[in-house]
Amino acid sequence: MTVTPGWYMALAAVLFVIGTGGILLRRNALVMFMSVELMLNAVNLTFVAAGRELNVLDGQVAVFFVMVVAAAEVVVGLAIIVAVFRRRQTASVDELSELRG
Amino acid sequence: MNLDFLAVAPTVAIVAAVVLLLMVDVTFKVGHRWWGFAAALGFIGATTASVWQWVEHRGADGELFYSGMLSVDGFSSFAGMVIFPVAGLGVMAGWQLVRGVGKRGAEFVALAMVAASGAHLMAASADLVLLFIALEVFSISLYVLAGFSRKGDGADEAALKYFLLGALASAVFLYGVALVFAATGTTSMYGAQSFLDATLILRPGVLLAGIALLLVGLSFKVSAAPFHVWAPDVYQGAPGGVTGFLAAGAKIAGFAALARVLVVPLGGYIDDWAPAIAVISAMSVVIGTLFAIAQTDLKRMLAYSSVAHAGFIMTALVAGPAGVADMWFYVATYSLQVVGAFAIASVVSGALTGKSPLSDFTGLAIRSPMLAAAMALFMLAMAGIPLTAGFVGKAAVFRAAIDADYLWLVILGLVAAVGGLFFYLRVIVLMYMQPSAEGVPAPRVPLGAGVAVSVTALVTVVVGFVPWPLLDWVRAAIPL
Repeated sequence: MTVTPGWYMALAAVLFVIGTGGILLRRNALVMFMSVELMLNAVNLTFVAAGRELNVLDGQVAVFFVMVVAAAEVVVGLAIIVAVFRRRQTASVDELSELRG
Repeated sequence: MNLDFLAVAPTVAIVAAVVLLLMVDVTFKVGHRWWGFAAALGFIGATTASVWQWVEHRGADGELFYSGMLSVDGFSSFAGMVIFPVAGLGVMAGWQLVRGVGKRGAEFVALAMVAASGAHLMAASADLVLLFIALEVFSISLYVLAGFSRKGDGADEAALKYFLLGALASAVFLYGVALVFAATGTTSMYGAQSFLDATLILRPGVLLAGIALLLVGLSFKVSAAPFHVWAPDVYQGAPGGVTGFLAAGAKIAGFAALARVLVVPLGGYIDDWAPAIAVISAMSVVIGTLFAIAQTDLKRMLAYSSVAHAGFIMTALVAGPAGVADMWFYVATYSLQVVGAFAIASVVSGALTGKSPLSDFTGLAIRSPMLAAAMALFMLAMAGIPLTAGFVGKAAVFRAAIDADYLWLVILGLVAAVGGLFFYLRVIVLMYMQPSAEGVPAPRVPLGAGVAVSVTALVTVVVGFVPWPLLDWVRAAIPL
């Protein structure tokens, strides 16, 4: 049995759902952040698989842009998480409840 | 390759001003006067460039540049003419915050300018990958700005919540881009449009899933219900000086991106996405209005009201291409009201603190009649009272929806607008009919916030009395 790009796209969909589930269910900011990265990588896999299937380079090129943007997001995201942790000694989003109403 | 300097002139003006600001600041340590000068240079330059684009390329004269990456048309140039002045006013309104954070003020101004150029690129990009990059340039700058104050009443919490939910929204949006690419074989919006116009897709599952994900991702960014949960916490926790910029920028950029994505590549699938837009719009209007009534904090109340306004703006989009002009009218006038209202909140409750309890506003009319009058004007405009820009905006979007046969949505919108009067008028009652607390001094109005409030109030009144020029202009603010 050959593994066609369709299988990769299905795998990407599964990874994306796992990532979304992680964001919605986990309560630690770092783990939620990791789930976002998982979602972005699922998208990358979709891009590459679709580009391969359609025989165009756009998919592979898009992945480079996504990786760079994701790296920029990591920089800001980790800085915010560290700032929160230094003030509150916790990275659990359940304890962040000053703002409500 | 169609290279043209005018196509990138707004972006270049902003980025050049940012580089100049930071380089001169690290070398000579000139302080906040220089930051203001550099910011003014960038915003005025970018606005001028947008006006120039408007003169050259509005209406039917739109063109694609840089291998179809960038579109310069009435849509993008009008977006620039709204975004850059509004961002400039937003930064002016937050100048107390800039001065209050010491040396970090330079970063604040630079980030706000980068966010503004990202917002403009969101309106101008003709390629979905470029749109994603612009979206992230805009959002990542705002994550930092939302947590800029370290005075510790929730700014870090606001930044973290904004970041986590914003990153989730970006990932969802990006997956939508990937699925549309998988279905059409191109990331170019105009390429996808011609592919979809020429091809009958027998099993459109992947494409429809892509459309749905694009809708969800962008609804997050414009804080439409049920994807609005971040907005109240972020608006309330973010320092007073940045909230107006954040709220106005997110609406302008988000709706610009949403309108172009829906109308250009997916225009042929309007029967599939218009009902979804109608449902999101209805939910936003109802949820935003109901929750706003229960709030005791002005910024939180305005956050829920902005959810309702996102719903009103979406009402225009159910009409597809015909509603884009009305959407622009509403977005342009509403963004000015938001900047003005949050500027007053930052004057009354402090530019470095997040919270702005309604009790701060009791008897404001006695302590500071001008501020109270301006606040009353913005509340009436947001409620949609005649002779303010808000009324014309609501009339425009409702007419667009009626023309598209969405009468139920308009009726729901009218009911919600009446319900909205309740919480807008409550602020006015608090300011005018309650005695001021003993010993509370009149708030001192800093120059920047004063100018921002005056300009936004003036435009709100003038457009309310004489809406025809703007109504005329937005007719040419359509995508290529």
